[in-house]
Amino acid sequence: MGRRGGGSGSAATMPGAERGSELSEQIEAFAARLRRGGERPRSEDTARQTLSLLRKIVGNGRWSRAGELMDLIRTEGQRMTAAQPSETTVGNMVRRVLKVIREEYGRLHGRSEESDQQESLHKLLTSGGLSEDFRTPYPSLRANVIEAINEMLIELEGTTDNIAMQALEHIHSNEVIMTIGYSRTVEAFLKEAARKRKFQVIVAECAPFCQGHEMAVRLSKENIETTVMSDAAIFAVMSRVNKVIIGTKTILANGALIAVSGTHTLALAAKHHSTPLIVCAPMFKLSPQFPNEEDSFHKFVSPQEVLPFTEGEILAKINVHCPVFDYVPPELITLFISNIGGNAPSYIYRLMSELYHPDDYEL
Amino acid sequence: MAARGTARRGAGGGSARGPDPQEEPPPPLQAVLVADSFNRRFFPISKDRPRALLPMANVAMIDYTLEFLTATGVEETFVFCCWKSAEIKEHLQKSKWCRHTSPNTVRFVTSDLYRSLGDVLRDVDAKSLVRSDFILVTGDVVSNFNISKALEEHKLRRKMEKNVSVMTLIFKESSPGHHARCKEDDIVIAMDSATNRVLHYQRTQGLKRFRFPMSLFQNSIENVEVRHDLLDCHISICSPQVAELFTDNFDYQTRDDFVRGLLVNEEVLGNQIHMHVATEEYGAHICNLLMYEAVCSDIIRRWVYPLTPEMNFTDDKNQSYTHSKHNIYRGVDVSLGHGSVLEENVLIGQGTVIGSNCSITNSVIGQNCRIGDKVTLDGAVLWDRVHIADNVEIHHSVICDEAEVKEKVKLKPRCVLSSQVVVGPGITLSEGTVISLHPPDEEEEDDDQFSDDSGVNKESKVKLKGYNKKDVGSEGRGYLWKADDKNEEDEEEQRQSLWGPAMHSEEESESDSDLSMGSEEPDSRAASPQLDDIKVFQNEVLGTLQRGEEENISCDNLVLELNSLKYAYNISLKEMMQVLSKVILEFPLQQLDANLDSQNYFSALLPLLKNWTPLFKNYIKRASDHLNALYAIEEFFLEHDSLCTSIAKVLMTFYQLEILEEDVILNWFSLRDTSDKGKQLRKNQRLQKFIQWLEEAEEESSDGDQD
Repeated sequence: MGRRGGGSGSAATMPGAERGSELSEQIEAFAARLRRGGERPRSEDTARQTLSLLRKIVGNGRWSRAGELMDLIRTEGQRMTAAQPSETTVGNMVRRVLKVIREEYGRLHGRSEESDQQESLHKLLTSGGLSEDFRTPYPSLRANVIEAINEMLIELEGTTDNIAMQALEHIHSNEVIMTIGYSRTVEAFLKEAARKRKFQVIVAECAPFCQGHEMAVRLSKENIETTVMSDAAIFAVMSRVNKVIIGTKTILANGALIAVSGTHTLALAAKHHSTPLIVCAPMFKLSPQFPNEEDSFHKFVSPQEVLPFTEGEILAKINVHCPVFDYVPPELITLFISNIGGNAPSYIYRLMSELYHPDDYEL
Repeated sequence: MAARGTARRGAGGGSARGPDPQEEPPPPLQAVLVADSFNRRFFPISKDRPRALLPMANVAMIDYTLEFLTATGVEETFVFCCWKSAEIKEHLQKSKWCRHTSPNTVRFVTSDLYRSLGDVLRDVDAKSLVRSDFILVTGDVVSNFNISKALEEHKLRRKMEKNVSVMTLIFKESSPGHHARCKEDDIVIAMDSATNRVLHYQRTQGLKRFRFPMSLFQNSIENVEVRHDLLDCHISICSPQVAELFTDNFDYQTRDDFVRGLLVNEEVLGNQIHMHVATEEYGAHICNLLMYEAVCSDIIRRWVYPLTPEMNFTDDKNQSYTHSKHNIYRGVDVSLGHGSVLEENVLIGQGTVIGSNCSITNSVIGQNCRIGDKVTLDGAVLWDRVHIADNVEIHHSVICDEAEVKEKVKLKPRCVLSSQVVVGPGITLSEGTVISLHPPDEEEEDDDQFSDDSGVNKESKVKLKGYNKKDVGSEGRGYLWKADDKNEEDEEEQRQSLWGPAMHSEEESESDSDLSMGSEEPDSRAASPQLDDIKVFQNEVLGTLQRGEEENISCDNLVLELNSLKYAYNISLKEMMQVLSKVILEFPLQQLDANLDSQNYFSALLPLLKNWTPLFKNYIKRASDHLNALYAIEEFFLEHDSLCTSIAKVLMTFYQLEILEEDVILNWFSLRDTSDKGKQLRKNQRLQKFIQWLEEAEEESSDGDQD
């Protein structure tokens, strides 16, 4: 970044250089914020921040061809995802933008959207993998891509509402719903249902962070009959539960979840009692990664919550772990509710191919 | 250059917003990072590398400190270096902190003249570097503490009571016996639980009993908490006044001096110190190898999250790790031989090759190390480019850069091999062995250890002397610093100073004696030196008075001198009183002749008493002071039987000079619980006459109050 700014020495380009280094500072600050974790950012906010940063890169970056822009986005994207691999949203947004660039380029290049969408087996065979080289410069590309990113930002605004709107189809009167931890999407979902129906919610507290407490407080403020219980009681209570509705951090390519720890227990109990398990998750949480790729989905935080540092002598002799996430295999999940409707885990692959270009799965 | 550019732009932004005075942005948060410890605790390791650059889980300590400062929102950091400053500067310039994207601007202040923290802060004041509250840390602090809350509290306090609170100390809650709690840094603190004000601060090192001044519990504070469950993080939030106070008090060397000085003179200066206790976050200060090991293992065990190895917060390509279960961290291009087991809590740096059938647990291995077959590492810390041959066993030891351990060597716990040392083959190093390429005796040769060039001229010396094959093995290179034998106490001390727990370096013991003044009464062991203190003080008072007599110094100046003496020896007012009376009464004896008869004695004493009346008046104010003075007089006359007869005259003089009041004299006289000798003294005719006269005088002045 700095080199680019320094290269263009003339006074006229100074503002651009200034903006360039400012942008790089912003990206750095964003990466640092992700790295430090801090106060559990909402995935939606992360997605929005990523998108607006990418928009700035598209707007202010020095590129003339689509290929250059994609390389630029890819390198910056790698930097941002490396900062906190467990925040898959960042990578997802980068892939979405890459896909947008491909589409916009294709449109300018004179290819119909249809042909891009439905690559037939025949076409795959005949084209011989000769994909576009993104070399042709189009002056309107910049504006088009920014426009498309703006649309995505607007789409982001409505995701939670879109999911909540479907609540009445899934929650019926006098049902007993179980959930775990605190998810804003689930909160909105339940609140929406509570406007028309009366039902009971059981919240597993989700130790050691106990976000479940916050969830219960928020729900009971809306006059929903809420019970908090310890995670150990999940199995015992499950027989009374009609539906399990949970949020998640990430949906993986195979339809599995990376969700707050304790979710696996809950999902197994639900399976044992044949209770349907519904996952509320906006589409931007859908990640084209598979669970066996390295160990990057793990997030182990300070053991402070499990065994406080003040314990003293014992700490030198023991190992304490405090994982944040659970892996929930796809066969335990009944239904995904996203902002574009309800889908079974087996359908995830299709959504994936609609959202991302196969070449971008690996950043 | 880049850093300056950023600053200029920042300043420009500030002035652009300038016209609106109401919304003037708060001044950027600044920090003073002292990248020097001003002691030799890490010798001989720190001979090759300054302490701030010692790798802690493969990342230099100063990087942790800077990351902590940056994460907490510091925008400008002054790094003060002294010992090996060039190396620190080079390291930082290569790091991400000096990139122009860094939100934290790092500036260097280098000088070989710094000898203590006090010097640094005096320089901060002289150059007026800080504009508002700043954070003071040393370059060996590892913490993930978010200072913002403590900073807010600090600012609020300063707003409420203008400039009263000057410093907020940050502590981490941790119970005694915690492995990351270093005994030499242990403290006992008394605090006001309502306001978090520090009332009493004492290092506990070597003390078995603690004493707290009664005044702590007597004043109006409702709840006083005495805490021993605190770990000093060596992070403090300071107001700019702190630097000024260091300038005013040129004898302040360390932060301890400062805290103690401020607490002792709290009433005089009106400054207060507060504290903040962190419960969830981590914070530790690495002051010896024991702490080094403990903090290393805490980092591996993720207590310092998010400052864990795989986070790669330094943004260095060579420092990317993957984290897998049981806290195994692996860098890029690590190769692990067949049958080798990484049990748990292991960190392996980039490019390291490990042979077959090794067993590694609780260890940190640096970059590009070569480890042979059948090696056992337990609690070992290996720095970069270390070579370990086959069949080596290493337990809880530190091996520095490019050191080599040959076949079948066994290192017992707490061994240290400093850089480029070679040991072996086939020897066993006993517990606590320290081997360095620098011969140990050279330390005495040059005093100026802190200067940078001291390392250069040594190379030649090293080659002149042969290595002792018994110590380092037949192919070994290096000098034995400390063996485990306890033949020489000095050496034992040194070894422990490297590792820690019960050390007494000069500096520490010095501060210990200072400490005893901080508390009103030291523990029983220190009681005898306390008595000596009074003796010394008495001599000093005598000397002062003699000088006053000879040079005819005015009483006001004498009072000043005595006051400063009083503080210097930490003498209470009561003791001061007694000493003063005693010294003045003895004065004629000292001056003239020890065997004076009472007549001559009194005639010699009389002018002195007249001269020094203001002295007495300055110290004798309350009734209890009068009584104390009387006791002192009584004691003196009991000791000097021959002068007994003049007691009445002396008392008379005191009375006439209006130093002592009649009520008190009468009171004293009528006291019953005195010794036989005291009773005899009271039977002295002249004294009785004097008393009688006094009683009559009183009866005359106030009718009928008697009986």
